[in-house]
Amino acid sequence: MKKLMLPLVAFLLITGSAFTVWTAQDWKIADGYSVKFDGGDPSGEFTGLKGTISFDPSDLATSKFDATIDVASINTGNGMKNTHAKSEKWFDADKYPTIQFTSSAITKTATGFEAKGTLNMHGVQKEIVIPFTFENNVFKASFTVNRLDYNINTAEPNHGGSVFKVDLSVPVTK
Amino acid sequence: MFKKVFLHALLSACLAAIAALLYQRIYFFATETDFSSVLSTGKLIALSILTSTGAALLNHILNRIFKKRGEMVFNFLFSIISFMGVMVPISISLPLAVHSPELFPGLGVPMVFFPAMAWYTVNPLFVKKT
Repeated sequence: MKKLMLPLVAFLLITGSAFTVWTAQDWKIADGYSVKFDGGDPSGEFTGLKGTISFDPSDLATSKFDATIDVASINTGNGMKNTHAKSEKWFDADKYPTIQFTSSAITKTATGFEAKGTLNMHGVQKEIVIPFTFENNVFKASFTVNRLDYNINTAEPNHGGSVFKVDLSVPVTK
Repeated sequence: MFKKVFLHALLSACLAAIAALLYQRIYFFATETDFSSVLSTGKLIALSILTSTGAALLNHILNRIFKKRGEMVFNFLFSIISFMGVMVPISISLPLAVHSPELFPGLGVPMVFFPAMAWYTVNPLFVKKT
């Protein structure tokens, strides 16, 4: 039995350390990130971004994004519009304080990568695909979101546009 | 005639600019929000001159058209335009780098009335003696 113990411990150590090496690298969101949206009028940004990022370009199977945006951090550059955006009619920040994206699969594409996952906004969960690039420790993504898909002010579909272009630039550190 | 109106505009522009600059400093100390990137000293002076010169032009035109009632029509119009101008600082979207945009109307709205207030303040100096 003792003869088997040492090889077993060695095996566990080797497989354990190998698994640690193979697990995608964890990144921290650094200062200077930007989450901008543009629907013509309004346009603006969210300043409250948090999340966990595990990403390794050579090991996408274990890579994962879980990011949360604080709805109350919305800034359109106009105080009146900020108040409206947070109100019950639009984002309803009291009831739905965060916007969350959790990836389920990350794949390589011709121009970069794609993160498939669930976007949870205004109490509605939808599957979306976010194309992104990763260069010099900066994640960059650009995609569109239709607010009507998330039941945001559906009573006024033409008020302030319905399709918003979202531009993300997220520098990260190890 | 236009020389007098021009002097009226110049004097009221100076008063309006001084009032705006003073109010900007007071507002900064009261709220600790800096909007100098949106309303710099140069912009405040330029806006005061522009508004007062525009008012002078309007005054000159209205006095020509309405003769004796020109001054009354001008005062009424200038007040209405100033009041409508309140919408500018309320509806404007500031650059995203500017913090606390909700405090901007508190700075901009009173300033909208400064040119009219300055114009009416110095008006007695330029009123025709009958």
